[in-house]
Amino acid sequence: MFFRRMRRNKVMMAALSLAVALGTASMQAQAYVPTNRDTKVAPEKAEQTEESFAEYDLLLETNTVKYYWREDRDIFAIVDKQTGTCIRTGADLPFPGDVKDAVKALQKGDASPEEILAAAESYPDDLNSTYVGIANSLITVEYYDSDKIKYISSASEEDAESTLRKISEEKYCLEIRFRKPEVLMNVYITLGEDRIDYFIPCEEMTGSGLNRLAAVEITPFLGASGGRMNVMNPDTLEWETVDAYRVPGYVLVPDGSGSLIRFTRNTSVFNAYEGDVYGRDYATETNYSYAYYDDVPVKDPVMPVFGIAHGNGQMAFAAWANEGAEYMDIIVNPDGTRSTSYTWAYPRFELNVNYYQLYDEQGSGFFTQMEEIFHYDIDMTYAFLFGDGSDGTPSADYVGMARVYREYLLDRGELELRETPEGDIPIRLDFIMGDAKSGIVGNTQVVTTRTEDVEEILSRVMEQGITNINAGLMGWQKNGESLSRPDKLHFTGAIGSRRDFEKLIGAFAERGVDISLSRDTVTVNKKMVTYNNTAVKCISNWYLSIDKRAILPEHVPTALFSYGTPEKTASWTGQFAQKAGAFSNSVTLTEMPHVLTSNWNRDGVVTGLTEAIELYRETLEEIGQEKTLNLEKPNMYLWKYTDRYLQAPVGSSQFIFETDTVPFLEMVLHGTMEVYAPYANFSFYTKDCILRMIDYNVSPSFVLSKEPSYKLGDTFLANYYSTEYTLYEGMIADIYSQVNSVLSQVQGFEWTARHVPEDGVVINSYGKDGAYKYVIINYTEHEVTYQGTTVMPESAAVVGKE
Amino acid sequence: MKQNKMIYKILCLSAVVFMALRTPVQVSASQATSYTYASDEDMNWERTQDAYLPDKTVTGLGLSSPEDLFIDEDNMLYIADTGNRRVIKYDINSGQVEGILENSEMAGPRGVYVTREGEIYVADTAAKAVLVFDRDFNLINKLTRPDAPIFADTNYEPKRIAVDGGGNIYLISEGVYNGVIQLAKTGEFLGYFAVNDADLTFSQRLQQMIFTREQLANLVDINPTVFANVFVDRDGIVYTATSGTNRNGMKKHSTNGGNMFKTDVWSYDNLTDVYVDHRGLIYTSSASGYIDIYSKNGEEIFAIGSYVTTTDIVGLFTSLPSIAVDLDGNIWAVDGTKGYLQSFKPTEYAQMVYTAMDLYESGLYEEAMEKWNEVLRLNQMSVLAHNGVGKAYLHAEDYEASLEHFKVANNKEYYSQSFWEVRNKWLQRWLGPILGVVAALLVIKKIVKIIDRKHGGEMERTWRALKEKAGGLPVWKDILYALRTPKRPMDSYYEIRRYRQGSVISAAVIYMLLFVDFMAYKTVKGFIYQTVKVENMDIGSIVLGFFALLGLFIVCNYLVTSINDGDGTFRQIFMIPAYGLMPAMIAMLTVTCVSYALTYNESFLLTLVLLIGVVWSVITIFIGLQTVHDYTFGETVKSIVLTVVFMIIIAVVGVIISIMWNSLYTFLTSVGKEMIQNVF
Repeated sequence: MFFRRMRRNKVMMAALSLAVALGTASMQAQAYVPTNRDTKVAPEKAEQTEESFAEYDLLLETNTVKYYWREDRDIFAIVDKQTGTCIRTGADLPFPGDVKDAVKALQKGDASPEEILAAAESYPDDLNSTYVGIANSLITVEYYDSDKIKYISSASEEDAESTLRKISEEKYCLEIRFRKPEVLMNVYITLGEDRIDYFIPCEEMTGSGLNRLAAVEITPFLGASGGRMNVMNPDTLEWETVDAYRVPGYVLVPDGSGSLIRFTRNTSVFNAYEGDVYGRDYATETNYSYAYYDDVPVKDPVMPVFGIAHGNGQMAFAAWANEGAEYMDIIVNPDGTRSTSYTWAYPRFELNVNYYQLYDEQGSGFFTQMEEIFHYDIDMTYAFLFGDGSDGTPSADYVGMARVYREYLLDRGELELRETPEGDIPIRLDFIMGDAKSGIVGNTQVVTTRTEDVEEILSRVMEQGITNINAGLMGWQKNGESLSRPDKLHFTGAIGSRRDFEKLIGAFAERGVDISLSRDTVTVNKKMVTYNNTAVKCISNWYLSIDKRAILPEHVPTALFSYGTPEKTASWTGQFAQKAGAFSNSVTLTEMPHVLTSNWNRDGVVTGLTEAIELYRETLEEIGQEKTLNLEKPNMYLWKYTDRYLQAPVGSSQFIFETDTVPFLEMVLHGTMEVYAPYANFSFYTKDCILRMIDYNVSPSFVLSKEPSYKLGDTFLANYYSTEYTLYEGMIADIYSQVNSVLSQVQGFEWTARHVPEDGVVINSYGKDGAYKYVIINYTEHEVTYQGTTVMPESAAVVGKE
Repeated sequence: MKQNKMIYKILCLSAVVFMALRTPVQVSASQATSYTYASDEDMNWERTQDAYLPDKTVTGLGLSSPEDLFIDEDNMLYIADTGNRRVIKYDINSGQVEGILENSEMAGPRGVYVTREGEIYVADTAAKAVLVFDRDFNLINKLTRPDAPIFADTNYEPKRIAVDGGGNIYLISEGVYNGVIQLAKTGEFLGYFAVNDADLTFSQRLQQMIFTREQLANLVDINPTVFANVFVDRDGIVYTATSGTNRNGMKKHSTNGGNMFKTDVWSYDNLTDVYVDHRGLIYTSSASGYIDIYSKNGEEIFAIGSYVTTTDIVGLFTSLPSIAVDLDGNIWAVDGTKGYLQSFKPTEYAQMVYTAMDLYESGLYEEAMEKWNEVLRLNQMSVLAHNGVGKAYLHAEDYEASLEHFKVANNKEYYSQSFWEVRNKWLQRWLGPILGVVAALLVIKKIVKIIDRKHGGEMERTWRALKEKAGGLPVWKDILYALRTPKRPMDSYYEIRRYRQGSVISAAVIYMLLFVDFMAYKTVKGFIYQTVKVENMDIGSIVLGFFALLGLFIVCNYLVTSINDGDGTFRQIFMIPAYGLMPAMIAMLTVTCVSYALTYNESFLLTLVLLIGVVWSVITIFIGLQTVHDYTFGETVKSIVLTVVFMIIIAVVGVIISIMWNSLYTFLTSVGKEMIQNVF
């Protein structure tokens, strides 16, 4: 299954080899100081240590790997047969007390130094017995002790016991019994050719303490690096504390486009990275109210995947959730966090939440948890990658991780390869038609673009030779988007009548330009709809409130918002698509594709996250059968229906401990849909940004208006600081031609590899039917020469072979 | 096989050179982690394009509770690494540590300043001294407590320091409220350079006024707000940051210690540092993680940052004790809790704003306008840029072009200047023709009159008949009567009382007209005189206030006069204000219309018109009350005072009832929810 595209892989590997060869070619040596927005050169080679499996049982040997199991510590060891590289699911550490007791007993007796040394297994200096259990464990659970979270691991010294039961040659079941709180859990383990799958059925989780569980963590220390060990000095027979070998490598997290957290020793203590897959479920947050503030919100993972790589093309794994992703957090503890010197990453599946139950508007209330945990099955797959990919297999780095995850999604039908015609890349042009502001009586319509203006602007853009255009119309409604119901199509003559829109869209459809109406079908406010049976109710039975007063002008019609219930959102989306689709071939949805919340009432959950996903998928599947879907930052569960991915992140949230940014998302999506960069209007038009568009293989997008944007100053759209077309006429042509001149040459090609030969220089490899091309992106301020081809400072070039 | 050929052929080489790009700037992709705010036209903070982007994050220095930063003339960053009892010299350009200043005398360095000569001054709180090192880190002086008698009881624990070109040292000492300590190079105490005033609350001010000396002595000492930091710029000007106040927390001092800023400067109330770059831009930091940028005149330009506790994102701080600005205009900040350095790079947008401001200050108005227009391309809502472009047009005498920009920037003062010129030009062009037309119309009127008389005056008779007919219409007649009331108030109100003149319907119509007139006066005056924008008004409160006040007056006056032998009926009292408010109505209408044609210079005209209208109306209503109730002057005054008191009482009772009702409603809904939650 893995290697079914061998022909393509050969091409890819040839491309990679050339890229590496090019990378080692001569170049001018000038310092480029990379930041965490860049991708740095690959980590150094990891030292290969001699592995012992004396305490392990061999469970299975496949063509690629051997699986060993250590029963007393609940650890799998996966060994690459070709290189002997090994990775363990746990840290494989002894409990400090056991070692110290054993050594003390020997020291008190007549034991020889050799006997003492033999018993003196190195033990961790900065992990207590609870943490040693966690570090070794296959499963760790979090539970509520009052409103505080505590941990027990399956490899706990006293609080749990576990047994691995064989079901078949490849299938096992780890039966775990946690004692306090009492919980029984069966983990079904499938050993594959080069991957392990863990399945935890909800129905088989039982016990009197079940509803106190807060979360389940799977192999929290798999691939961890770091640690400080107490080692016995053979000469003095005294314990000495030494830093354990820090494997060069990184954790990949789907933060924005993708981010690497390299294994480094931190002198500062940081908080953990907690990536809430598909974004936070506001309905189950601690409070019913959430306020936007001065800091830019973090980019939530849009896909349930992460990975860890050791060394340079030596060993890595990519892990993803097959089921339960909507309840999954990706946790990374950088060195120093939680008082350990390890960097460790794992998936956390939330089962219960602690929330504040309000009982009056003055804020009186109490903290409590749900009476019953969330009911869903957990299914995680870990795919192991070995080698640099020169044999055609996915390389043991973030590129290989993107490849295996992409193949998984293709196999599952969540992604579908699409034929991309050769030629110019597309460009996205969105128009702000208008909005509403407060008036003497009610609200006043603000008009920034009329239908005839759109016609004029698009015609002028086309006159500049840009023809592969698709456009979205925002704020086309009477009273703007924020004050009009999502399921209604009320036009205003000030912008254009229904007939005007039909005419505009129809006329440009004939010229090959797709224009669609854009709509946010999830955000609501009390001036738009009544909340009763419409807005999401939180777990505390209060309506969700999203406060945007800090980021909106003081006198907008309203700054308090909520989300529509999943049922309403799905219904509105369907109705909007049906009505708007009557005169357009496509539909643009903005917030709905990346907002996922549950809905509650006083009896409990009305619509859970899993049901909400199903509702949205059903809705978009129906729409997608007839219409092209332009979705803004869609979560993975909607990729199947996405034709155009709008506002794709080209960067990360920039946590301090994140060291690199990579186009992981773009590599996963490449060739399956059109992917567009954030609007170039807003600080995304510089040389660096244009190079990043080329590097990340995304198409440019702009948001435009006919009138100056200061007219929007007192509206919800006040943060569109600059949109007037006349200001951007030249820039649209400039940016498009620069990005298009490079990316149009690899249209229809598969993106096979990405390599950083030196800081500030990136080589992307593309292949198609035996031909391959390399896009060399030079972010530095000096020329770079590769085998006779000189790439100018801050520019990009395409080199190809036929 | 084609692909097996080992000859590489360059299919295409598109070395894309971006020289032609219109935005020749070196900034990274949009990666701001906090929003940038700038003052909007109403002087509120509004989001704007990113002004600074987080750039370098330096986590590997092992800093422990660092407290102060300084960048010298060679772009070397000095860090007072307080927890580790050392000062680190860090090369910004290479990213390398150039040296570590450690000395046995150093016990707790909390402030650092480097002179142009390379001398490093360290304020050491724990050592209770200022330590002076040469550029090779040799200790060359230790300034301990000054021995001047006047300084005897003063706490001497230096925590921040700055040094001017003459070698004078400015110290902020822990626990000193008297001001910035000024020492000579030798360590001799020269005095307190600047002193903050104590911010007194209303009750404290009252106490100061009425308490005796003994009573005041028994009160807790009121200390002035304390200085948090001090800085001396290249020109030797001293700046201070004060915590504990939002007003004038950042000061630029003249040589005598006074504040050079003419207007109040807003700042966070927990300022930690102030810094000035080579352009004269002033930067402040606050403990809660915000960085503000001001012009050299103290105008706020940008604010960035946000306070965070649980997420570690570049550019956001859990504590921000100090900032510094390098020679390239990059801001360097240090997180006091987590011990790492963070730099911020100005974006193209910020650079353009600063350049435009510099050009304008240098008198290069055309160049400044070009730059401001570039700023507007990036942010069409920039008040700074609209002001800049407007002023540049004003200097270029293109007054009409400047009007639109001043209007967007809500700069009424400059708009008025431009408008005066535009109007002047218009008058010069059109005054002659207009006077000619008026004169022609007068002549035509005269001729028509003469011709009409020659033909028996038929036209005049018809006109008079029409007027009489119109005057006889029921409501219109009463409205015309209302117009006559202010001219003959006694007679008119007497007729209302005695002969039942006027009608309730006409009074109601007049109230509605008054309301429309009032709303027009509030909302649609000319730009210069429309001080509050419609979208910023609480229209509901205005409407409610108008009718509530009017209704209360009528009802209260009726109740008061009923028990004070007033003759007026409720119907008559209802009509009194309506018929008396005509002058105010006309004044408001006049002001609304004329405000479109006047500048600030003629504002007294509008004030005068309004004053006349209001005073006339008040007198008319007073006479109306006196006449209708058949009161003496004294009785009338008494009834009005009682009416006002009664109105206040009713308003207070109304507020109390409203609060109680809210409480009752909350209580009942809480009980209801509890019952639903726990019983059913």
